Amino acid sequence: MSSPIILMRGVYGVWLREIMRATRDRGQMIGGVSRPLIWLLILGVGLNPYFRGEVYGEVRYVIPYTYLQFLFPAVIVLNIMYTSIQFAVSVIWDREFGFLREVLVSPMPRALILLGKVLGGSTVAMIHGGLVLILARFADVTLSLEQMAMALGLMFVLAFGLTCFGVVLAARVRSFEGFGVFSNTIILPLYFTSSSVFPLDPALTRTQTATAYPEWLVFLVQINPITYAVDALRGVVIGFNQFPPSYGPAVICTMALVFFIMALIDFGRS
Amino acid sequence: MSAKRPHRWLQAGVNIAFIAALLTAISFLPPDTSLSDRQEAGVLKVCVPPSYPPLITGNPAEPGYDAELVAAIAGDLGLRLTVNTLPAIGQDFNPRNWFLTRAQCDLVAGGVADTVQTRGFLQTIPTAAETGWVGISATGTMPPTGSIVGVLPGTSGLDRLALSGWLRQQGLRAQLLRSPAQLQSSLESGAIAAAITERFVAGTIDLKENAFGLFWLPESIFPHYRMALGLWKGDQTLKRAVANALDNLAKTNVLNALEARYGLDGAIASTAE
Repeated sequence: MSSPIILMRGVYGVWLREIMRATRDRGQMIGGVSRPLIWLLILGVGLNPYFRGEVYGEVRYVIPYTYLQFLFPAVIVLNIMYTSIQFAVSVIWDREFGFLREVLVSPMPRALILLGKVLGGSTVAMIHGGLVLILARFADVTLSLEQMAMALGLMFVLAFGLTCFGVVLAARVRSFEGFGVFSNTIILPLYFTSSSVFPLDPALTRTQTATAYPEWLVFLVQINPITYAVDALRGVVIGFNQFPPSYGPAVICTMALVFFIMALIDFGRS
Repeated sequence: MSAKRPHRWLQAGVNIAFIAALLTAISFLPPDTSLSDRQEAGVLKVCVPPSYPPLITGNPAEPGYDAELVAAIAGDLGLRLTVNTLPAIGQDFNPRNWFLTRAQCDLVAGGVADTVQTRGFLQTIPTAAETGWVGISATGTMPPTGSIVGVLPGTSGLDRLALSGWLRQQGLRAQLLRSPAQLQSSLESGAIAAAITERFVAGTIDLKENAFGLFWLPESIFPHYRMALGLWKGDQTLKRAVANALDNLAKTNVLNALEARYGLDGAIASTAE
């Protein structure tokens, strides 16, 4: 079992199982569509008129993009977050129904089993993020092939990090019921404090920003790693960064590395 | 006899294809009512400055590039054009200082520069017109160190601080000019070795033929700005319709004819680096 080709076939098998299970599950696929529809179609279009600028003093939205364009990259991240973190369900499912036990007694190293599962989860999450790109025309976002490739690259690394985070969570949750709280206690707070639905004007100093938003909110936005993931994607998709452009990719890669190591440790113990 | 098993990717492929088709169909929904409102009213309201040659001239026989362009766009959209002349437009590059409202205009023309500052306030569709600082001298280049250079800033709001800093760095002495007429007389009398002004102001000065040459200042220091048509942010369907109308006008060579008529196709020869 030491041949690298055989090991890679093992990783491929685990990856393929995750892909098949996710893409054959209509419920999961519908979830991947309903989120962008709710956020872009309902919230984006609903709030768009309130962010239309007129004369100075009444301008509410001062970044050089429309609200729909501003929201668009954040909805991609939201779709990736839900799919990646809910990947933990797959881990709990496998544990509950014995599949994990069967795989773990195989000669495959645990690290490679984890890699296969995480790559599968990341691929599915990237597909869900990629589905949002179909709505680019609706949001008036024009993407070149190069931008599309860069966006997909960032989306995959982000999905990888968040899928590992899902595995770390799964190691701490013993039942399906316990997992239900994730969306309310982890995904939504991370999403809403990532400057996804409101901008922190990059032209303002920290003091000036604090006059527009309470300092605690600015603090939460700045310490949230998802803020930098949204910012990186915004930089690629609409050319707008609220933070130095290097921050986003650096934070996403660090997240992927740290959570993979944590997942490896937890998975080794399981 | 066993039934043939479906391909393992079939169900996954069907699911993804169905969802992609659904999202593609949804992406064609209109995100706002800006175009349908205009079509219902039958009118396209455009705000322009009283004069900003060659974009707006105030001369009914030759009303200007932007004036003719918006008329052609309204015609393509099947709407009647209403022009509101507002003196504040073009007074500086920041359109927030023009005090426009939706009640006055659906479209802003004749002085909208396609800058980040503008896009914080309006959506823009760039046109063929381009502006920036240009120099005028007998040699078509900047004069030697120590020479006097006349500066007519105009009302365009180009970066005057950067210009004065650059002139000092070049060892040139700046002399502020008050009008195009003063620029012309100072150049022709030799009181100044060169003049610097905004591209469109330079185009209105009637200099002796072949006696002076125009040149852009270094673009790395003084970027050129494309002029644009401005639409309210969020008026997505109207913006798409205007962009389509511009494509139609380009296909029928109307745009090329307008550019030639107002001298926008004439390149400014050299750049002083």
